Amino acid sequence: MNPDPNSPRTKRARKTRTTRPSVKRVETLARLVVTLGGGATILAVATICLFLVWVVVPMFRGAELAASGEVHEHALSAARPVHTGVDEYRQLSWTVFSDGALEVHALAHGQLLERSLLFDGVAPTCSAYNVEDGSLAFGFADGRALLGRVVFATAFAGESEVTPELRQLSSGESRVDGAGLVERTPEGQLRRTQLELQFDAPLELGTPLVAIDATSLTNGVAVCALTSEGQLTLNAGRKTTNLLTGEETLQLTRCVLPYRPAPSGAAPLAVKLTAGGDNVLAIWRDGRCVRYDARDFEAPTEAEVLDLVPEQDATVTALDFVIGKRTLIVGDSLGRVRGWFRIKPDAAETRDGARTVCGHEFALEASPVSALAPSAASRTFAIGYGNGRAHLVYMTTERVLGTTSTADGSALATLALAPRENALVARTADALMRWDVECEHPEVSLAGLFAPVWYENYPRAEHVWQSSSGTDDFEPKLGLIPLVFGTLKATLYSMLFGVPLALLAAIFSSEFLDKRLRVGVKSTIEVMASLPSVVLGFLSAIVIAPVVQGLLIETLTALYMLPVALLCGAYAWQLLPQRWSVRAQGWPRFVGIALMLPVGIAAALLLGPPVERLLFAGDIEAWLHGSHGSALGGWVFFLIPLGAASMALLSGRFVAPYFRRISRSWSRASCARLDLARFALSVVGTLALALAAGFALDSAGIDPRGGIVDTYVQRNALVVGFIMGFAIIPIIYTLAEDALTSVPEHLRLASLGAGATPWQTAVRVIVPTAASGLFSAIMVGLGRAVGETMIVLMAAGNTPLLEWNAFSGFRTLSANIAVELPEAVEGSTHYRTLFLAALTLFVMTFVVNTAAEIVRQRFRKRAFQL
Amino acid sequence: MSPTTTTEASAERKLARRRGAGQRRTSLFAHGEPLVWLTGGALALAVVMILGLLLLVLRQGLPTFWPSEVVQVSTVAGGVHAGEVADVDVYRPEAHVLDALPEAVAARARASLAERDGLSERRMLRTGNYELTGTHYTWVSDFELAEETRPEWILVVERLENGRFYGTPRSIAVQGTTTEGDAQLVWDQFERHHDAARERWQVKRELETVEIGEVNRLIEAARLELREVELAHGVDSEPWRAAQRELEQRTHSAEAEFQRLRREIDALTEAGRGSTLTLVSADGASTTLALEEIVRAYPANRLSTAERIGVYLSRLAEFLFDEPREANSEGGVFPAMFGTVLMTLIMAVLVVPFGVLAALYLREYAKPGAVVSAVRIAINNLAGVPSIVFGVFGLGFFCYIVGANVDELLFSAKLPTPTYGKGGLMWASLTLALLTLPVVIVPTEEALSAVPRSMREGSFACGATKWQTIWRIVLPRALPGIMTGMILALARGAGEVAPLMLVGAVKLAPELPLDTHWPFLHPERSFMHLGFHIYDLGFQSQNSEAAKPMVYTTTLLLIGIVVALNVLAIWIRARLRRRFQGSQL
Repeated sequence: MNPDPNSPRTKRARKTRTTRPSVKRVETLARLVVTLGGGATILAVATICLFLVWVVVPMFRGAELAASGEVHEHALSAARPVHTGVDEYRQLSWTVFSDGALEVHALAHGQLLERSLLFDGVAPTCSAYNVEDGSLAFGFADGRALLGRVVFATAFAGESEVTPELRQLSSGESRVDGAGLVERTPEGQLRRTQLELQFDAPLELGTPLVAIDATSLTNGVAVCALTSEGQLTLNAGRKTTNLLTGEETLQLTRCVLPYRPAPSGAAPLAVKLTAGGDNVLAIWRDGRCVRYDARDFEAPTEAEVLDLVPEQDATVTALDFVIGKRTLIVGDSLGRVRGWFRIKPDAAETRDGARTVCGHEFALEASPVSALAPSAASRTFAIGYGNGRAHLVYMTTERVLGTTSTADGSALATLALAPRENALVARTADALMRWDVECEHPEVSLAGLFAPVWYENYPRAEHVWQSSSGTDDFEPKLGLIPLVFGTLKATLYSMLFGVPLALLAAIFSSEFLDKRLRVGVKSTIEVMASLPSVVLGFLSAIVIAPVVQGLLIETLTALYMLPVALLCGAYAWQLLPQRWSVRAQGWPRFVGIALMLPVGIAAALLLGPPVERLLFAGDIEAWLHGSHGSALGGWVFFLIPLGAASMALLSGRFVAPYFRRISRSWSRASCARLDLARFALSVVGTLALALAAGFALDSAGIDPRGGIVDTYVQRNALVVGFIMGFAIIPIIYTLAEDALTSVPEHLRLASLGAGATPWQTAVRVIVPTAASGLFSAIMVGLGRAVGETMIVLMAAGNTPLLEWNAFSGFRTLSANIAVELPEAVEGSTHYRTLFLAALTLFVMTFVVNTAAEIVRQRFRKRAFQL
Repeated sequence: MSPTTTTEASAERKLARRRGAGQRRTSLFAHGEPLVWLTGGALALAVVMILGLLLLVLRQGLPTFWPSEVVQVSTVAGGVHAGEVADVDVYRPEAHVLDALPEAVAARARASLAERDGLSERRMLRTGNYELTGTHYTWVSDFELAEETRPEWILVVERLENGRFYGTPRSIAVQGTTTEGDAQLVWDQFERHHDAARERWQVKRELETVEIGEVNRLIEAARLELREVELAHGVDSEPWRAAQRELEQRTHSAEAEFQRLRREIDALTEAGRGSTLTLVSADGASTTLALEEIVRAYPANRLSTAERIGVYLSRLAEFLFDEPREANSEGGVFPAMFGTVLMTLIMAVLVVPFGVLAALYLREYAKPGAVVSAVRIAINNLAGVPSIVFGVFGLGFFCYIVGANVDELLFSAKLPTPTYGKGGLMWASLTLALLTLPVVIVPTEEALSAVPRSMREGSFACGATKWQTIWRIVLPRALPGIMTGMILALARGAGEVAPLMLVGAVKLAPELPLDTHWPFLHPERSFMHLGFHIYDLGFQSQNSEAAKPMVYTTTLLLIGIVVALNVLAIWIRARLRRRFQGSQL
């Protein structure tokens, strides 16, 4: 665009005109700033979605198991390893052998730190280990039982107290120091860790013990033990502290369980004590399992007998509890692992009303399960097999997190997961192996988020959202479906209310409204589009919800009475002489229409109580609760819309054409009277249809309660639908009105010129032409409803329920984020799941809006072509 | 009446006249009158609901500060309550309520109830006197009413704590001298000395917050310096020891200063101790209140209209310019208003230049094609992305990633206490800036494309460069669009709450984000926001009944701000459009 200095015309000028360098510099600078700034802004927008994805993705990464060290040794004793454990810092590992030997290894150095025979060489006859609190229980042939715990004693040593070699350790390094290990922490301190086994005073539980298990209680301990004579006892120990000496003593009370030997005559493989110490399981090698209920300590009963391995010839080879001691995991000789827990079904055939069921099953290898290692932090556990392979799995979601195996395929005798789930230690006959595990979010899988999951103690697989609770061994239940459902429910009910109102209003204001009124009405509604939603939410919770609850039947009746009043007004209007009605077609008619609203509301207030008496036995809330009244009344009431729709269809199809034919030569007044009669008949017909259908459904024994209507709570979908519909009306109305008015004027004029009435023009010409614009308006409204936060937060009650009941609350994705994200720990599974919820919302609205945008652009093009 | 309808109708009328009434062409049914009424009803309902909502907020919000009369009622059960009527409602009393009444009264009540279909009217009195009764409100049903009076001298006392007090003045002590007996005398004394007591209290609060805060700030600064030296040179190094000595010295001098302030405060407390007002509540219990803890008192039933307006204005001023009291349910909303305005302004400063740059880039510099239209659609759609998603992004990206890194680089001495690594004014403004970006870009782009091609071509023909054309010709013409976008963004930002809950709006911020300490604006501080104030008061408040009037008033204020901004945007758009319409020819 700059004038070329060499062209003949400029040469002719007295002075050569050139662009000043400063202008050129500004030009370049401007281009640079605009391109960079604009480009960066657009990029920033794109990062939003990318960032959400970036936060969510690590959640679905499985576990990585990296071998990090192996200790080979010749077995010092022929005894078999029974329990293995690791400390929190992945430094030390211990193994207890069946002969009572204890070995402690430094994992990083592959060094044996300590080897000793516990119990002065007396081999225990049975033992139990609980990874959650590190407690151990041993039983002996002489009837003695020893309860103890594994303690990793850590102490921080000052620089001056240690040897020079230790002082030279750099961060992360460690060195063996006697029976312990010294490590320099990243903070620069010297930490010495040493394993200690602490035992309480021995208990006498009867001779000789063949199986034992212990569970710690809030104020003591529960121990169950089985003697070879077949006496199964449950011992509850209460800890009392001597105030003078500070010495703790354990007072035992005992109950004898009604134990019966198995038909096969074999002794049980193990006894297990569940959380709370009130249920004892005796498990035989062939899979037989008897559960004793000892909640009534004085009179324990045998509750049920089950078969843990139904397959023929299969035997139980490993068993343990996962954290919380409610789910028993059982590995068998066919390589299957099953998770069993107690549920309370509606109809239990057992004596205590509970039943033990197999909720989860893993069939990963064909080799017998040789070791199970539950985690102390979550419901993750490791399965070791006879063929040397090991799988890390998460019980509840049945997700396989990672797999590894021994180099030579030798069987895994014992397994242990580090308390932070960052290491897996395995013991084979002659080696000790360690794998570093990286698994941040074991509890989440796509299926777990979106499919029903069978949680511990739930009667069946369900969609549940419950992200936090008071107890430590609580498992967060992160099913997003209840939240997605809540979002859809809120959207549906608000669209049901908002869309018809907004579209009808847009049609009226673009086609029938007086022009002077139109500007005022339109800008009022436009300003309302920017009304803060927190205001609407507050009003719905404080004003609308209590009013609707107090006037429930009146509100519901008003939904019917408002249209009826408007129609009555219209038929009355038709009765007016034509001279008047034509002259008053502008704003007087609109005022008349507006006046019918109070009439409708007054009618609803008047009719409400009689309707309640007639159809809902005098109290609609009690009726909804299901406590009284027959289903008939409710059916009639809720079927009225259907009845009205079918009546409208019938009369439009058959009656109206007939009337039109016969009334061709009638006067206007008689036509109007005929129309009024037809309307009255339709109303009666609607009621009759609803009554008939209601009667039929009622006699078929179907009740509307439990479906779309049920128990009333104050903050519910009706209220949310009402107020959120109100919130989306402005936006749908504005866009729809724009679409309708942008239909070219010549179409309208042509239609009217051809003799169509304004109504016919609107319905047959304008609305079809603008249909895609109207559709896009609805879609934009839908996008708004999906993401609306403050209204649902304040008016929806926020209970994550899965029911269509219009009178119950729900929890939406957006409200859930607003409530829970401030409390979620950064980087935790909960945090990332909430980001996934945000991503879901983002994608939902983005798809809906893009569809709307594309449709709108096509509409524009078409309208332009017309 | 739309012109099309008129022409059509008059044509029909002419036809009808020519052919005689019986021979119309158009059937009545073709007009679809009932369906037109349904569509009209929908529009009327929408408008009525909007107006109703505004009226409701006005009706509930405006009278909040009006000092209504105090009624004293005695019930048949012997209770005496005095208070302002807060609510009137009709309900159905349960049988056991009536059974508990004395026989004769119960019979009378039953008779009156039977007359009214089992319904009775009841009033909710704001009876206050929380420390005596343990409740702020009392319901009084009409049937249990024995006597109702309006005592002349009952005072409404607004206090710093425990809500309002309703009682008749008995005596007042000022600096130890007691005036007793006649209410008028006591009231005169109160009016004479209350301002001085309040002033004393203000001075004391100033000392407690500002001055002592200053001392604490100094100590904290010295501690931070020490920590910085420690991080740079290690413990026990030479500079560390120097800093340690410095800290000790400063702590020492601060301690002295602190003691001095403490003495001053104690002196003021001592001076205030002797000034009290003793009131007798409706049921005869007497309570003594410190004069300086009384925010405002007035004899509600003696006020003339002018005095009532005075009380109204004084409360309105407190609402607008003072800090909240009593868990936000009393006092003012100044910090919330201030936070809202400041946050919105910072947001505008961020969003407008970048939004305009992006629009310029898209419209003037980028090569039009599939990519640019895709970007345009994406930006249009961004307006429809739920605001909470932006909040999630703001928390995760700005607070936890950007903020944490800023902390590590610049504020490592303060760690692990986060400075920028949490929600704050800065991050809230940035988040809302992202949120309102499309609101600015879309109208700006529209305005840019509406500048006639002939004007650009004229400019180029005169030898202007592209940037000169944009700067001198295009941008001035597009200004109305840009202004509209900016104001709409302001309105959106002022009304948005959901993302702010995640990135920095708090229930009660101890300090304003703007003060007299370097660097004056503290973008890392959390702040209060009117919208969040409404959510918190209306939804989370302990004493929700007492908070209600406050929420309505705050709502009114927020709606007022947002609607005013929107109307301003519409007005500017219309005005500038008109101006340029003339020049387009």
